[in-house]
Amino acid sequence: MSVWEIVELARHPDRPYSLDYIRRLAPDFIELHGDRLAADDPALVGGVGTWHRRTTMFLGHQKGRSLKERVGRNWGMMHPEGYRKALRLAHHAAKFGFPIVSLIDTPGAYPGAGAEERGIAAAIAQAIMEWFRIPVPIVAAVIGEGGSGGALGMGVADRVIMLENSIYSVASPEAAASIVWRDNSRKVEAAEQLQLTSREIVGMGVVEEVVPEPKGSASADYDAAARALDDALYRHMKPLLDEPSSQLLQHRYDRFRYIDSLIRAEPHFGPKID
Amino acid sequence: MIAEMPRDEVAIQGGPLPEILLPTNCPGCGIALSLDELRAHNYVCTECGHHFRLGADVWVPLIADQGSWLERWTDVRSHDLLNWTVPKRYQQTVETLLEEGLNEAVRTGTCTLAKKPIWLAAFDFGFVGGTLSIVAGERLARGMEQAASTGTPYVLVSASGGARMQEGVLALMQLAKVNAAVGRLHDAGVPFFSVLTDPTFGGTAASLALLGDINIAEPGAAIGFTGPRVIKQATYADLPPGFQSAEFQLAHGQVDVVVPRTELRPLLAHLLEMYS
Repeated sequence: MSVWEIVELARHPDRPYSLDYIRRLAPDFIELHGDRLAADDPALVGGVGTWHRRTTMFLGHQKGRSLKERVGRNWGMMHPEGYRKALRLAHHAAKFGFPIVSLIDTPGAYPGAGAEERGIAAAIAQAIMEWFRIPVPIVAAVIGEGGSGGALGMGVADRVIMLENSIYSVASPEAAASIVWRDNSRKVEAAEQLQLTSREIVGMGVVEEVVPEPKGSASADYDAAARALDDALYRHMKPLLDEPSSQLLQHRYDRFRYIDSLIRAEPHFGPKID
Repeated sequence: MIAEMPRDEVAIQGGPLPEILLPTNCPGCGIALSLDELRAHNYVCTECGHHFRLGADVWVPLIADQGSWLERWTDVRSHDLLNWTVPKRYQQTVETLLEEGLNEAVRTGTCTLAKKPIWLAAFDFGFVGGTLSIVAGERLARGMEQAASTGTPYVLVSASGGARMQEGVLALMQLAKVNAAVGRLHDAGVPFFSVLTDPTFGGTAASLALLGDINIAEPGAAIGFTGPRVIKQATYADLPPGFQSAEFQLAHGQVDVVVPRTELRPLLAHLLEMYS
């Protein structure tokens, strides 16, 4: 399969979205809305459900399937209010000791004037910093598109895994092409250069595991995809549940602080940093 | 405590600034430029106040007391990790810039400012658009960790297009790496003064640059997440004049103060006294 075919699978309109997974993982899921400041961002869903006999906080980017729903969900692109809602729910989870599952599926944060006016950069910055202080276990999974800072704003976790046909990238192929060539039609070349497939990302040591998808990709069998995701998420969550929170936070810090250590240990990467 | 050193007694630059390449006329007002005059005036047009972009090699002597700068981790180099070949080999890009005397998109070290010890980090927009790379992230995180453990105030000067495409997802991960370190600074109660200069965008704005205890912007600096070209492409919106300017960010609650470069150093000196 070519890199671009994987990008298309990751973005496929039939691909299961966060709510498709969350409702299978926790059939009693109750969605909780709003940032308690100004708004509710429909591009990010959050709420509580029982998962492996434990109340769990689920968060996830949500895309829409019909055109109307896609517009309503803003194609899974969060506004600042979404990051503020996510942090509110993260603190809520911490208060009650609920572990957090975060599902990532976004082309990026919303590139619009309104998002800029309401401080999208600072909202993402604050979220990324705050995740390091949330004293409950967090496991994140890239289930489709992991696009840029908009994805990382929901992706600071103790473990991060990726579905087989998902992508994770510093920028969407279109944005990268626009930055490198000032021509976003060169997206295929950009995708190939970015090394954004799950196999490449796990090879860099950025995620812990690639979760195989059912035959014909996750789009072909939602139940089987959800079972595979459930199994992998819980396998990573289980050992975290017993970790003292101070140790958990230290390990989370170290995970990202030394995330490039595989690369930095390469002999061609200049003089080693200390 | 009453501040010991009145602001007007602090020089506007720590030492003489190196010469930079300038156009013959000011892009702000068209006046013919005099290098010596501008250099003594922190490269701010004496006529219209246009702020010229500065590299790290100018920011350091502007902020640091003369002779106090001790740069760290200069021998760490970026390398092509993704076999990036288009439109130019990344390895070639990096090597050419090194030959030109630039040393990565972030330089960091310790110095004093009006005799107060600080950690200083300055982005260099001339190095691949001041983009956040593994080396840049490492220098930032290390400096912040040391500032946190020694209780030394941290001063950042940013000018950056965001994360570096050519280092892929590992460049994106630097946002998390440096923000984790910013958290350490905050937890240690160490003041973090963030100076945002033109331009500060993308992953740099969405990580450390807007997380200062005090965010200080230069007049007219463009600051935002998504650049105006991409916003227009994505949303077909007409952006009003001044969109994403420092003054716009002040009005929208993202920065604390907008200060001309000629008042920056006295302000930082005063803040260092108040927050010590």
